Amino acid sequence: MNTKWVGKRVKRIDGPEKVTGELKYMTDYHFDNMVWGKVLRSEYPHAKINSIDIEAAKNLPGVICVLTHKDIPGFNGFGIVVPDQPVLCSDVVRCTGDAVALVAAETLEIAEQALSLIKVDFEPLEVVADAEYALTDSAPKLHPDGNLHSHVKINNGNIEKAFEEADIIVENTFYSPRQMHAFIETEGGWGVMDDEGFLTIRCPGQYAYRDRMQIARSLAYNPERIRVISSPIGGAFGGKDEITVQIYLALLALHTKGRPVKIHLSREESVIAGIKRHPFKVQMKTAAKKDGTLLANQVKAIGDTGAYASLGGAVIALAIEHSCGPYKIPNVDLEGFCVYTNNGIAGAFRGFGVNQVCMGIETHMDMIAEKLGMDPIELRKKNVYHQGEVSSVGHIVKSSVGTYKTLETAENCDLWKNREKYKSEVSEPWKKRGVSVATSFHGIGMGIGLPDYGAASIELLPDGTFLVGVGCEEIGGGNSTAYAQIAAEMLNCDISNIKIVQGDTQKTLDGGTVTASRSTYTGGRAVAAAAPRMTELLIQTAAEMLNLDSSQIDLKPNHISAHGEIIPYKSIYKYLYDHHQATRVEGHFYLPKEKEEIKGSGGAPHHLYGYLTHVVMVEVDTLTGETEVLRVVSIPDAGRVINPQGLEGQTEGGAVMGIGYTLYEDVLIENGYHKTRNFTDYIIPTIRETPLIETFPVEEPEQSGPFGAKGIGEVVMIPIIAAIMSAIYDATGARICHLPATPERVFNALKDLKKQKVQSSR
Amino acid sequence: MLVSEIDMITPSSLPECLMQLSKEGRIHRLIAGGTDAAVRMKEGKWRPEIWINIKNLHELRYIEESEDCIYIGPLTTHTDIIHSPLLQRKADVLVDAAREVGATQMQNMGTIGGNIGTASPAGDTLPALYVLGARLELTSLSTKRIIPIEEFILGPGRTVLKENEMITKILIKPQKPNEIGIFQKLGPRKAQSISIVNVAISLTLDQDLKCREGKIAFGSVAPTIIRARKCESMLPLGTLNDELIRNIAKIAWKEVMPITDGRATATYRRDMASALLERGLYRLIRRWNNH
Ligand SMILES: Cc1cc2nc3c(=O)[nH]c(=O)nc-3n(C[C@H](O)[C@H](O)[C@H](O)COP(=O)(O)OP(=O)(O)OC[C@H]3O[C@@H](n4cnc5c(N)ncnc54)[C@H](O)[C@@H]3O)c2cc1C
Repeated sequence: MNTKWVGKRVKRIDGPEKVTGELKYMTDYHFDNMVWGKVLRSEYPHAKINSIDIEAAKNLPGVICVLTHKDIPGFNGFGIVVPDQPVLCSDVVRCTGDAVALVAAETLEIAEQALSLIKVDFEPLEVVADAEYALTDSAPKLHPDGNLHSHVKINNGNIEKAFEEADIIVENTFYSPRQMHAFIETEGGWGVMDDEGFLTIRCPGQYAYRDRMQIARSLAYNPERIRVISSPIGGAFGGKDEITVQIYLALLALHTKGRPVKIHLSREESVIAGIKRHPFKVQMKTAAKKDGTLLANQVKAIGDTGAYASLGGAVIALAIEHSCGPYKIPNVDLEGFCVYTNNGIAGAFRGFGVNQVCMGIETHMDMIAEKLGMDPIELRKKNVYHQGEVSSVGHIVKSSVGTYKTLETAENCDLWKNREKYKSEVSEPWKKRGVSVATSFHGIGMGIGLPDYGAASIELLPDGTFLVGVGCEEIGGGNSTAYAQIAAEMLNCDISNIKIVQGDTQKTLDGGTVTASRSTYTGGRAVAAAAPRMTELLIQTAAEMLNLDSSQIDLKPNHISAHGEIIPYKSIYKYLYDHHQATRVEGHFYLPKEKEEIKGSGGAPHHLYGYLTHVVMVEVDTLTGETEVLRVVSIPDAGRVINPQGLEGQTEGGAVMGIGYTLYEDVLIENGYHKTRNFTDYIIPTIRETPLIETFPVEEPEQSGPFGAKGIGEVVMIPIIAAIMSAIYDATGARICHLPATPERVFNALKDLKKQKVQSSR
Repeated sequence: MLVSEIDMITPSSLPECLMQLSKEGRIHRLIAGGTDAAVRMKEGKWRPEIWINIKNLHELRYIEESEDCIYIGPLTTHTDIIHSPLLQRKADVLVDAAREVGATQMQNMGTIGGNIGTASPAGDTLPALYVLGARLELTSLSTKRIIPIEEFILGPGRTVLKENEMITKILIKPQKPNEIGIFQKLGPRKAQSISIVNVAISLTLDQDLKCREGKIAFGSVAPTIIRARKCESMLPLGTLNDELIRNIAKIAWKEVMPITDGRATATYRRDMASALLERGLYRLIRRWNNH
């Protein structure tokens, strides 16, 4: 297809103001008459609340209000799926992030002082610190229905028979860390109520309309009287999908007499109260035939969702759906448990459960390949499903599937082809290098059982430019530029004539979340649905103006021409305005879904998946156990690429986040208390840990997507995890199944290996 | 003490600063680059009544040499140290260590006086200063004394500095042409990280790679910096080949007494004392051979 904007390296429309720092994020705003809000968090990971005494705090000069659960007009709870998290705890606290009271004061310091004056009589209860323990009878129940939040299961074929018939079986247990989103802008925002009782909440989020619904539910307030502005965002990665501070802001705004109230969590508070990635324990047993055909996979995954559900149930379901990789395994027995503990709160995070299971199946692929003496890419190519084939979870995959192509590209890339040469070029004699490959996939959109739609509006402005409104927030990934490209392409105008507004319940239509790798695909399709309506409006209006038939009107770049006459869009606007006619059109889009849910799977399968293969090279310092990732090749199948530069932003950022997950990051919690408290001890990669990253997209166009595009925002960080683990093995012979692979873990594995060698040589 | 209640004064000369330090009946603390001070103030650990801001006392920012002594002003930043040709030639181990402090931002703001003043067991310039035989000049309005750095630091965050004193000079012995040093750090990542273990080595070498004498100092493996005397005594035992290096490194773990914390276990720290010494000696010999 010949395009002017789509598929081109268009520079980000929000780039200059972000790079220069000119853009103000919502937490950057200050107002002269502003007041500060603070949240009192629990002292204990699990305790009964006997009483809360706020008198002293209220009487502190400078304090404007102190609120507890008694001050919540509506429903005291929130949560995307099950609202089991109290806004303000009344009887029990279940983690140290739990909120007990709110304060608004003239200064931040006074608000902090006021918190210290609130006396809460806690009665500590037994702490449930481990997900497996939580499932035993002796563990105290954290919620009325017990500690098992959800349980999903997928069964196909005959697993016992398959294991009996198998030539080769590998079995391992994998542990994954509690990763923190580590966005630079911590949770925060501000709220204000005007004289007429209209409430405005400005708070970075990933779905303004749902945030508004949750606020309205707690305030028992008409949602039409609430405006939520949720974009732009200084990073989210899933961590701002759930309510963060919106309801606190709204509650305080009811009591600050029209003064804006601001909350901005410190990093320390964000570490404790913000949601995290679910740590998993994954037991996996995989069987194959001598020729490399996969026969069976058995998976038991336990995810620690902490004190509340948030999206934990969906995370486990997605993990199980993806636990066999993009392969066709005829016999599977897959089971997932989402479990409550007192370990903070876990929720949505880029990858959404797939990271934790990918490390299992891909490690097993490499182990099987090694045992069979087969090339790891050959083994994968042999087992991947193609479009129209049946996946491991048992459905026919009707949408585009690029895995095979990504593997072929991997096979032919310089790093893989010349890996033996690169591996021999170690920088110091005690260092060892390894090169490995891994592949994965990730569902796009919500899966079965949840509404999944996109909506966009296009408005003709007085100066003849267009305002494109999409609900999906600009989370940093560059969807605004993709929307502008699609609009410019379809309206046949210069991209500078497109303005984008996002994430504002007053200015954009409800178009669903910025999650599930869906926003370019869904929002893009909605823009693509609205655009023809706008061109039709332009043409019809011009025809009316000139008294011509619409077939005589030509849509030219940035203007309309008819019979040699040029009509700028400004004139069309003026005509419409003068005639009191609408200048705005809408486009709506329903995400295609599978018709039948796999029983017990919690929403599988998805209709669409994005695919990606990673090749990485690492160098391990055998004296210290330090691992350095030297090179990454990222081979995505995102369907048609809307913006190669935007795609590279995702593959590069995703690779670095994957490196962090594999080698450095973990929020340590001991007996319910955070040992990791801020960035001093939470190690994320810096530019010095960032390797050379190459991106080679294979484009397997998806018919249903805008210009053939699919989603890619999550899978970009997934296979690299397993690839690094295997590259460490390739370099040293040590298999690390417990992430992060810190220097200490790698060093100890090397030590054990030496011991084994000594013993076996005796 | 609330942060908003803390005052700050900025003396414009050293005598004025010493005068301020001599005032009694109040709690004051010096602030130089503030890279430790601001963090600890935020954490609620350092909340003096008055900060005495010395960042602008340019008279304390210098690197000079007179016969057989190098003088470094306490306000010298890590970046100053890294870029000093004199120190590159005659105190390579200190330059190495300064390069490992945080990353560029911290090196631009942080000072050597502040690194010593904080007296963290993980302070990266400290082991280098130990092997360079550093001495500190401590000055008050009416007194001046010079003491070795080993005697200055008592424990984590604890020094012999009196309320009315400050560090006004750091004195080190310049390396001779046949002396060479190196600093090795193991952190959880390459930049902006607190040392899990670090080590500074300075050797006097003969042409045939025999070590006449050497000094080795470990950080982060005990309440203060530790000199590895047993390892040092093995250095002159023969040609510093791979075998001797391995044998010296093997006993390093006996010299240290680390703790377990969130960053690493004591066992790993012990192993790493050996590993870093081994790696450091390999690298040092390679550097020597390349000269
Ligand atoms: C992100 C980050 C990373 C860091 N990484 C490292 C690292 O890798 N390695 C490392 O060693 N450190 C590191 N630090 C700590 C810090 O940067 C260094 O210790 C730095 O050298 C401190 O210097 P300063 O001038 O900022 O000290 P300040 O914070 O100004 O002062 C520190 C202390 O020294 C005292 N002091 C300052 N000057 C004098 C003087 N002339 N006489 C007496 N006392 C004095 C002060 O009163 C105060 O108690 C890091 C800090 C941060 C924030």
